[in-house]
Amino acid sequence: MKNSFRDKTHMEQVERWAHFVKAHPRAVWKKQVGPLIDAQIIMAEKFYARLAKQQGGEEKIKQLKELRKRAV
Amino acid sequence: MTLVANIRTFYTETRLYTHGRLVTQSLGCYIHMAVLMAREVNDRTILDRFAEDFVRVVEKHTKYIIVSGFVAIAHGRSRGTEDIDIIVERMSKEDFTKLHRDLEISEFECIQSKNPELIFEDYLKQNLSVRYVRKGSHIPEMELKFAKDALDEYQIKTRKKMPFTGTDFYFSSIEMNVAFKEELLKSPKDIEDARHLRIIYSDTLDENEINKIKKEIKRLYL
Repeated sequence: MKNSFRDKTHMEQVERWAHFVKAHPRAVWKKQVGPLIDAQIIMAEKFYARLAKQQGGEEKIKQLKELRKRAV
Repeated sequence: MTLVANIRTFYTETRLYTHGRLVTQSLGCYIHMAVLMAREVNDRTILDRFAEDFVRVVEKHTKYIIVSGFVAIAHGRSRGTEDIDIIVERMSKEDFTKLHRDLEISEFECIQSKNPELIFEDYLKQNLSVRYVRKGSHIPEMELKFAKDALDEYQIKTRKKMPFTGTDFYFSSIEMNVAFKEELLKSPKDIEDARHLRIIYSDTLDENEINKIKKEIKRLYL
């Protein structure tokens, strides 16, 4: 599929990583990819905590939640 | 290894590395290091633990499958996600209410509503998905929906655990995930997920099964 935003080196990297995962035990690749997955969640929760402390933050969080309700 | 044992191990190792000199470290630092060390023993991510806790409740009530993005992520795909997609067998309002109550007891909450009757009538019965999060959290979310057609039922019927992932979940087959991502979903992220799975399972992937599912996708959805 043509992707106008990402050039072919992006898919090459996806493939390179997939070959690495296939060739190594889970303990090796999970140690690299696990923190990336955790970081996204930890950073998002920290962001929401910061937003909640700002003026109007709770209202913005409510609006974001409404967006998620409609996203199904 | 328990957290306490990890703290002890770290403390002992610190003393060893410093030739017996007592290093001034805050308790927070000890605990942080112990968590990092525990992580090496148990390599579950936050996403893995969230999914584990959720399906342990669901499987007491009905059959389920995890599909789409988390299948690729559990196979090592290096990308983030906000949600995990789960399909469960259709159930009655009464049975869903029991499941919902059980999820609430296990500290999950539904974003759409607290009322199981409303969730059932306005969403699940209409083949719309609903989202559960841990109480007080925003992400990750579990996007739950009922099996809506023959293909979903077939996915549940042919569900399997995948030892490669190191998890104990039931997933829809790799062939199913590749077919959906290449034939229906088709976003750049989905195409990359499919490519990743194709490489991981390059020696066992059943192309005939993928083509059969793609034909069924065309018939049902396109």
